[in-house]
Amino acid sequence: MAPIVVMLVASLNASSELFSHLWATVLPDYIYNTLVLGLLVALLSLCFGVPAAAIISQTDIVMGKQLRWLLMLPLAMPAYLVAYLYTDLFDYAGPVQRVLRTWFDWQSPHDYYFFDIRTIGGAAIVIALVLFPYVYLLTRIAFEQQDRNLLRASRLLGCTQRQSFYQLSLPLARPAIAVSLALVTMETLADFATVQYFAVNTLTTAIYDTWLGYGDFAAANALASVLMLFILFVVVAEQRARAGQRHQSSRPNTEHQRKQLSVVQQIIASIFCWFLVFAGFLLPVILLLVMAIDYADYPQFITLLATGKNSIVIAIYSATVATLIALTLALFQRLHQSRGRMIPVQISGFGYAIPGTVLAMAMLATFGPLDHVINDVAKALGFSAPGLILSGSLFAIIFAFVVRFSAIANGTINAGISQIPKSLDLAPASLGVKTWTAIFRVHLPLLKSSILVAWLLVFVEAMKELPAVLLLRPFNFETLSTQIYQLISDERLEQGALGAILIVLFGLLPIIFLNRQKDSK
Amino acid sequence: MLNKIWFLALVFIALLGASVNVIASDEVNVYSYRQPFLVKPLFDEFTKATGINVNVVFAKKGMAERLSREGEYSPADILLTTDISRLIELKDQDLLQPAQSAELTAAIPAQFKAADDTWYALTTRVRNIYSAKRLGKIDFNYEDLADEKYQGKICTRSGKHPYNVALVASMIAAHGEAYTLTWLEKVKANLVRKPQGSDRAQVQAIHQNLCDVSLGNSYYFGNMLKDEQQKVWADAVYINFPNQSNRGAHVNISGMAMAKYAPNKAHALALMNFLVSAPAQKMYAETNMEYPVRPGVQPSKLVASWGEFKTDDLSLETIAKQRRAALILLDKAQFDL
Amino acid sequence: MKTLINIENLAVELQSKVILSQVDLSLAKGEILGLVGASGCGKTTLLNTLAGFIGQSAGSIEINITNNQQIKITLEDMLPAEQRNIGMIFQDYALFPHLSVQENICFGLKKLTKVEREKRCAKLLTLLELSEFAKRYPHQLSGGQQQRVAIARALAPQPSLLLLDEPFSNIDARLRNELMIEIRQLLKRLGMTAIFVTHNKDEVFTFADKIAVMHQGQVLQIGPPAQVCQQPNSWQVADFLQLGSWLPVTLPVDGNHAVITSLIGQIESSAIVNTLSDNKCDALLNYQLLVKPSDIALCQQQASNVIIEHIGVTEQGYHYLLSSIEQNSALAFSQLSFYSQELFVLGAKLAIKLQGEHFHLYQAS
Repeated sequence: MAPIVVMLVASLNASSELFSHLWATVLPDYIYNTLVLGLLVALLSLCFGVPAAAIISQTDIVMGKQLRWLLMLPLAMPAYLVAYLYTDLFDYAGPVQRVLRTWFDWQSPHDYYFFDIRTIGGAAIVIALVLFPYVYLLTRIAFEQQDRNLLRASRLLGCTQRQSFYQLSLPLARPAIAVSLALVTMETLADFATVQYFAVNTLTTAIYDTWLGYGDFAAANALASVLMLFILFVVVAEQRARAGQRHQSSRPNTEHQRKQLSVVQQIIASIFCWFLVFAGFLLPVILLLVMAIDYADYPQFITLLATGKNSIVIAIYSATVATLIALTLALFQRLHQSRGRMIPVQISGFGYAIPGTVLAMAMLATFGPLDHVINDVAKALGFSAPGLILSGSLFAIIFAFVVRFSAIANGTINAGISQIPKSLDLAPASLGVKTWTAIFRVHLPLLKSSILVAWLLVFVEAMKELPAVLLLRPFNFETLSTQIYQLISDERLEQGALGAILIVLFGLLPIIFLNRQKDSK
Repeated sequence: MLNKIWFLALVFIALLGASVNVIASDEVNVYSYRQPFLVKPLFDEFTKATGINVNVVFAKKGMAERLSREGEYSPADILLTTDISRLIELKDQDLLQPAQSAELTAAIPAQFKAADDTWYALTTRVRNIYSAKRLGKIDFNYEDLADEKYQGKICTRSGKHPYNVALVASMIAAHGEAYTLTWLEKVKANLVRKPQGSDRAQVQAIHQNLCDVSLGNSYYFGNMLKDEQQKVWADAVYINFPNQSNRGAHVNISGMAMAKYAPNKAHALALMNFLVSAPAQKMYAETNMEYPVRPGVQPSKLVASWGEFKTDDLSLETIAKQRRAALILLDKAQFDL
Repeated sequence: MKTLINIENLAVELQSKVILSQVDLSLAKGEILGLVGASGCGKTTLLNTLAGFIGQSAGSIEINITNNQQIKITLEDMLPAEQRNIGMIFQDYALFPHLSVQENICFGLKKLTKVEREKRCAKLLTLLELSEFAKRYPHQLSGGQQQRVAIARALAPQPSLLLLDEPFSNIDARLRNELMIEIRQLLKRLGMTAIFVTHNKDEVFTFADKIAVMHQGQVLQIGPPAQVCQQPNSWQVADFLQLGSWLPVTLPVDGNHAVITSLIGQIESSAIVNTLSDNKCDALLNYQLLVKPSDIALCQQQASNVIIEHIGVTEQGYHYLLSSIEQNSALAFSQLSFYSQELFVLGAKLAIKLQGEHFHLYQAS
């Protein structure tokens, strides 16, 4: 929380001169781009995610069981990686256009039309391809958990299967769709690395420009605050949507009758789903594999192990701390009936929306002075100065990750805790068992799988996260993502392909787990 | 459950342990804007010669901010940058201290160091214009890029990239803001696609007939020639040193500086002395395909084969001073949009 | 008999809203109290306050655990729930889904040694006929079995008082009566004092020794069920217990030889057995007479005054709901219950009159 305050305070010193310059020149375009990108990504994720969820949950599509989890795989791909691979692939000089030119003997760009990947549209498509699984996942769960009796009632009231889908299932799933869209939008707005490959300038570009170009940290913070305002809007919209979520039923879910697709429908639905799986996951992975096979060698593998270890270490720390905090907050909120109890959770959700680098800056601004105080005190007491024990160590990175990803952990754990009947909070006391003991003996065991899912999700995000580590890491400290980033920025991803595959493999862990858990239920 | 608590306790202890061993003796700490693999071989040589270990942290963004936040407790001794503006920025924020030694004075000519000895250049790199071989040999001026005959024929990376910003700053120094803005607008109008990708990607685009002319740093040409896949791109273009008949080609530097609160000052100076020594200069310039600053040290054969050229002798500090103006003009011209 | 729990002047406020006020209750050891009232009257809040889940804003609770051990819960010393020695059975049973039946029952027994724990658990399993399910998990049991587990679990720590929140609401209607008797016998055998909440008065008659009727956060009347039914002390009590139909009447202005007048006849004021809370018989107030079906008789002689709105069949004959033909009067009524062996048609008009000798008269709320 403190970093956000520091950021807001710092923004108060922003020079108005720089602002008016930005406003007069590029800022309106940046804001326009930001909004258009956010909307497009939301819209596309909707177009990808909701039909996919409907097809998987409502129809008898061939290989539905496999597609069910295959459609989640794109979540494992870091967006910047996919962005790099796709811009490379569809660029004028990329392999696709090269092959086309050779086949048709075109000489120059004027001979044919090919879409330009480096546009807002291109960026939106690629980002949506990676982020749509959020929409798919939440919407599918909403569809599957809908009270079957409601659907039966609507059939008895004369609606066809199709009508009852549009008039009942879809409106009932609206809160879930809204929540997932909010997540997608937040991630899009906070993104920098991805849009950079697409040469799309957004508000984050302006933040980096003012900070790194003009060297005006205050103005950068002010812009970041503007971005936060957008996010606030998204968050509020999401929470309003969630308020209507009460009509979800937890009635045991009997297997319902699936819609029989005609052959044509079957083909269309299959193409749609497989396209998403292919474009969002298979193709990037294949590209990476090809690179890895071409370039990987043994010494590279050894360094990879070392950097991989670093990645895993900070991911474990971050996941553990974020999960613990989320757990504490959720239990506090649940067991302590005070009025302000919702506030910490709501605020901590904002972190997700802060671009990693901005957050890293805020960390330095917060812990730097704190370190100075610690050192001054240590010296005054006659000890040797301990150095930058907060801002110069893994502490800062992990703290930044926790701030950034606590929204994910909170969401997962809250969802889990809301499944526990209220009476289970009271029952232990009526049996003479103290609240503390009750937490350990009742709540934690019941939350076991939620805790694990939260932990895994944060773990994966921490493995992928880049800018914060880049800026905050101590000496000689490389992670998989920083290594890949350096190779990407040097256009030598080939040599990082193996590491990228490793990140993707780790990203698969929670998906496999989520899927297994669902099956065992 | 108790196990879990123990586990967590251990995690936090480990965390603290990881934080403490940041500062130790017989070390020198480097904050680098340069990619580690470019400087690593040099540091290995240094360690071999002196027994002093070199710790590196690399970041392209926010290094100055980190340094200033860390203040007097910063572990940083040496800063390595790839752009003059960064050095000046650090100096303006009073994050550097003068470093003097006989070796430094002897090795670095006055135009490649700060008047107050707060920074030193290590290598220079030229902002070249690459042109398609199919156009034939042309003598370019940077000003020519605004010419209408290149309509739809120019590619470049983002105007906001430090290398391009420095170039624009040098244009301002040479012609003034009004001229430069018009120049930028015209260049923008000549672009075949909006600024994107890296310098190499522009050469690739020339190879693929997307455009004919691009801006790029000199060392990329060498790097491409050494890369099996990219050699064909480089073979499709000439590397041109612009403005040879007038003020000369724009050069930028990669440089080094000593942090104001360097805890290992002696080691830091030793490293600086090492980096300007003839063998290190040779090695640094060779691995990076750049031009060494130390007089008498020759660039690599490949780099030398591109020929002698005249450099713009505009002072590096002037370029850095025009940096903000350059950014404002780039915004005004909406160069990247 | 010794008093086990004594509640004095208990009040509860939640978010500055008064939920309970001036609650006085006392129960002897081994007594079972049924707490009834319309939903929202505060009966569950009272249970939760006793259990310690909600803090009181005034008043005290005393519990005599044994002859010489007493706990007193006051404003100054609100004992946390786990130290009150009170057991509770929740409406949804609140069984821990991740624990087996046996582990659920042993949950509150951590202070005992393993041997003692197993012994007590085995005893309860036998007592509640759950032995064969000991290793199963709650979701593998039927509703009735789950309830027995909940009871066993609540009894395991040997509480001095057992609270039951609508314990029978989830049980099949046909089994309910049987189960209530079974559990009542069990509680009696163990000498357990219990308070249970329900909105079904029939459950009280089967299960409880005493009934307490609650309305808007207050206990209106408490006593043995028969006594409360015969002598309801207020309109709300009589209305909630559905002791009869309501017949609007007017009272004489002049108190002495007055007659009480309704649309179906008059009675002498001397026939009223209860005393009104305030003796001023204000004609402007809305008075209603509690009329039992047996207080009404057909009378052919006079003109018809009621019309049949509904006909129901019972084992004793036909049950009619009547409303007055005259609907514009202040004394108009509807839904007056009347039993007869004779079958009339819907909408038929009848002439009826009051015939009883003892009546209860109340001010309607």
